[in-house]
Amino acid sequence: MNHPSFFGHHSKILNIDLSKNLIQSKSLDPAIVEDYLGGRGLATRIFYDEINPECDPLAEDNVLVIATSLLIGTRAPTACRGHMVFKSPLTGLIGSSNCGGTWANVFKSSGYDVLVIKGKAAEPVTIDICPDEVKIISAKHLWGLDVHDTTKKLSTKSEAGKRPSILCIGPAGENLVLISSVMNDKNRAYGRAGSGAVFGSKNLKSIRVSGKKKIQIKDSERFQSGRDQALYLMKAAPITKRLLRELGTSGLLKLINIIDMLPHKNFQDNLHKEKDLEKISGETLRKKILERAGGCFGCPIACQRHTRTGDKNGEGPEYETIVMTGLDCGIYNLEAITNANYCCNELGVDTISFGGTLACAMELFEKGFLSTKETEGAELRFGNAKILREMVKLTAYRKGIGDKLAEGSFRLASFFKHPEFSMTVKKLEIPAYDPRTSFTQALGYMTSPTGACHLRGGYAVSLAFFGGTREIPRFSLLQSPIAIRNMQNLGIIQDSLGICRFTGFAFPTEPWSRMASGVTGMDFSTSRLEEIANRVATLERIFNLEAGMNPEDDTLPDRFSTEPVLVEGKEKLLQKKVIKRMRNDYYEVRGWDVFGIPSQTLLKTLKIKGRKK
Amino acid sequence: MKTKKWKASKELIRLFQTVGRASLIYDIQDSHSGNMALLWTEKKGDKKIVITSTGSQKGDLEPNQICFLSASETDFGYYKASSETDIHARILTSKDVYASMHCHTKDLVIATLDDEKKPNKPAPFVPIDPLGYYFLGGLVPVDWFKVPSGSPEMIRTIPERLSNHPVTVVQAHGAFSRGRTLKEAFFLLCIANNSGYIVRLANKLGINVKGLRNKIQSDPDSFFTYPPAKYLIEEEKPCDFPEEEEITREFFKAGARIFESRLSPFHTGSLSIRGVKTMLYAPMASMPREIGGPLREIPLSLDKSDSPELQIHKKIYAKSNFQTVIHCYVPEAEALSYFTNPGETEPVDRIVPVDAEGSFLYLVIPVVPQKFDFDELVRLLHDYKVVTVRGGGIWGVGTQSISEVLHHPSSLREICLYRIGALEQGLDLKKMEPKKAKRW
Ligand code: SF4
Repeated sequence: MNHPSFFGHHSKILNIDLSKNLIQSKSLDPAIVEDYLGGRGLATRIFYDEINPECDPLAEDNVLVIATSLLIGTRAPTACRGHMVFKSPLTGLIGSSNCGGTWANVFKSSGYDVLVIKGKAAEPVTIDICPDEVKIISAKHLWGLDVHDTTKKLSTKSEAGKRPSILCIGPAGENLVLISSVMNDKNRAYGRAGSGAVFGSKNLKSIRVSGKKKIQIKDSERFQSGRDQALYLMKAAPITKRLLRELGTSGLLKLINIIDMLPHKNFQDNLHKEKDLEKISGETLRKKILERAGGCFGCPIACQRHTRTGDKNGEGPEYETIVMTGLDCGIYNLEAITNANYCCNELGVDTISFGGTLACAMELFEKGFLSTKETEGAELRFGNAKILREMVKLTAYRKGIGDKLAEGSFRLASFFKHPEFSMTVKKLEIPAYDPRTSFTQALGYMTSPTGACHLRGGYAVSLAFFGGTREIPRFSLLQSPIAIRNMQNLGIIQDSLGICRFTGFAFPTEPWSRMASGVTGMDFSTSRLEEIANRVATLERIFNLEAGMNPEDDTLPDRFSTEPVLVEGKEKLLQKKVIKRMRNDYYEVRGWDVFGIPSQTLLKTLKIKGRKK
Repeated sequence: MKTKKWKASKELIRLFQTVGRASLIYDIQDSHSGNMALLWTEKKGDKKIVITSTGSQKGDLEPNQICFLSASETDFGYYKASSETDIHARILTSKDVYASMHCHTKDLVIATLDDEKKPNKPAPFVPIDPLGYYFLGGLVPVDWFKVPSGSPEMIRTIPERLSNHPVTVVQAHGAFSRGRTLKEAFFLLCIANNSGYIVRLANKLGINVKGLRNKIQSDPDSFFTYPPAKYLIEEEKPCDFPEEEEITREFFKAGARIFESRLSPFHTGSLSIRGVKTMLYAPMASMPREIGGPLREIPLSLDKSDSPELQIHKKIYAKSNFQTVIHCYVPEAEALSYFTNPGETEPVDRIVPVDAEGSFLYLVIPVVPQKFDFDELVRLLHDYKVVTVRGGGIWGVGTQSISEVLHHPSSLREICLYRIGALEQGLDLKKMEPKKAKRW
């Protein structure tokens, strides 16, 4: 059925079957936008309809959907983010990843709202998308190139007057590294859960987009009122007004240390010396290596760090990278961390999972379960900064011990018969906030649809410490289940509108609601947005259950229940009974049964229809 | 009679000190005005009047400024006790009256002034807000006295008035109240002063107060959303939630702010935070720091015995993802909700901020009628986070925290004050209202 183009959209889905070399444009049904918004919600629904949940994530029947949203192409602040959904080869569950940069905007200006990729090309290919033509072309000459070289090569080939944006993988994705990323603008990443390997498994090296098509706004005055309010509130909040621009996300480091949340040595403790942190803080980064701040398309916050160490320049490191490839590996060497970060970006490796996996390997090594025999002489000891960059390379090329690191920490630790050293939830590495130091964050990791992710799981840290008026207690059993559900929902709304999570430091949904309703003329009141978020969260859950997820996996590694850390001088851990109570309470607030399964009544209430095919 | 030293229990001293301080914080006393009294039965059964001393500072009472007098005869205590002691002593002889209080309730005093030739019988004061109307029994008597302090006329008249009304006004002086407890007597004076303040604001705003009073008196129940729950006098200990220390602290912080910032009179309003099956609920949310108030854990499911106010908390939770709910009687919002824009015939359906911060935080604050549609209230709360109910207080919601939900009445009060201030200066609000202030 053809649907006329509607406000905020081009109303087109671009379908590409790489096995059949088939390119098709389908119309986008406005009803699905009303029910699932865009970005994450829209991509999840389309993905759910297209995929066999039991498929092998690295086989040709995996489906990859990238969706833009109704705010992309408008002047809504930070509206630049695309959302990618796929079945993750790392977790076997839904992969749901969000990325800034320019790609989503340029893709939308090529005249499409959503891209769906299926099948597997017979040989390496790149997809070239312009308003007039979509082509699948050979990428044999690009295969083996790193992200930066690939981007450079494809950028120079663009036609005059059209600014292309490139999405591509590096050698890590080509080598099916399970912790590999898809990169945009060289250094922006669809980072987590192995999106790079899914590209690689499809022989898809890159997607180049260009165009100048514009969308129509239904009610500019209403849109503008939301935009004005958003900009005002962003200027009023110190984090969005100053901190992120001046210090980047690394400016959070000292702040997070104040609340004892910084992990150390594979989450064995949270103890850091002030002088060590000083060496890698946002302030030091700014003094020593920052060249300039930068921003994604249309972003007034501009948190990007364009940096230089020695003769190399690039982007980063971000807070997560500093903590996971640095502190969690016992490393406080800014140059080494920055170089490892550059290398991850060039080769297309997720810095969080890489850091978590290396930290796990270091613990195995120090405890004698992994030796120099397996590491070919490398001393995988905490604090050994010298090996950092080399380990990224070995991982990306699956060489030596890198072949095991490439599988992520759960498989690595299991291979060496000590899975207890893997700090993962559902095989995804826990990011840079110790769950023992906030019940709400812990519950977020436990229930995130993608495994331990601070974004898909809900960024509770912001509420527990610098939430301003929304600040909540860190150790409240009463409040945590609802607080995290609400935070996850806010995240779903943000991901589904294509806007940056960092705006959440300044305000939740109201301005977005006005902007979304203004752009489309549809009713996107905040209660509708909440309803959409509940629908998306439940659909993600259904997919995971169909894909074989065991609800018992909504938990944390044993370390967090048995080895306390110090918070303001008091020992804190998450007893098993606390984990269980929080999990059950969370199921209840989500409307899932005691086994974590959404009930039929809930599906009816949320109007979640079954799979199309 | 054998004399002995006054030996007030620590608890009694603390009660007088905390209520005294609260009356100063609420600005219904001057530094030395007013007095408080209660009836005290000693272990042996002797009845005593416990009363503040004459000239004492109620905001900083010393233990020896709390006098113990015999209730049956004149004793030495009368030398030091308040000059209004005889009035209190008579008030305390009434059935079920154990406390009385006198304050300089300035707003109520102003609202009951007249320029008639004296002596006269001033008109009673009729509140136009639900708290005042229901708690004060529909009206507050006002009397003019030739000697308006401790005079025989007052000793005769005031107890008589208080036998039929909880509060009475001495014109151009202050008000007296009686209660089952000292806190109740204080509560009633706060309510009465708040009502006076609302009427003053309404007069300033050119609202037809007489017309409102006529409507209220002919059918109060349809004029107000619901009668507020009865004032609780049982000393409820707030439950101490050892597991939820942080949240408990948040409640009392918020309660103190509600009281001190006059977002709702003493022990009115309500505040809650929901858990999965239960909610923590403060039914008397306006709580001075030292006095506090009850905090209960109650099921989220509706119960027949729930007050209408508690029911609304529960229903909001049932229909939304909100985590915190607040209800306050913000007097400025109450008054503004009856305001009619020049050239219009109906009162406003929104309060539009004209100040910079207010207009960015809230494009508008919707105003709904007394008997609002509940689904509409929830919809508006989703979109605007705070709603004023004409004749029913304000409702606010938060997605996460107590502090977040407290911000709504607090901002709203400022927003209203700026609007009222602009009107006082004869400014054209329509010109000042941002164009974007539409109710979408
Ligand atoms: S805040 Fe940073 S990550 Fe977010 S859109 Fe702006 S530049 Fe990109």
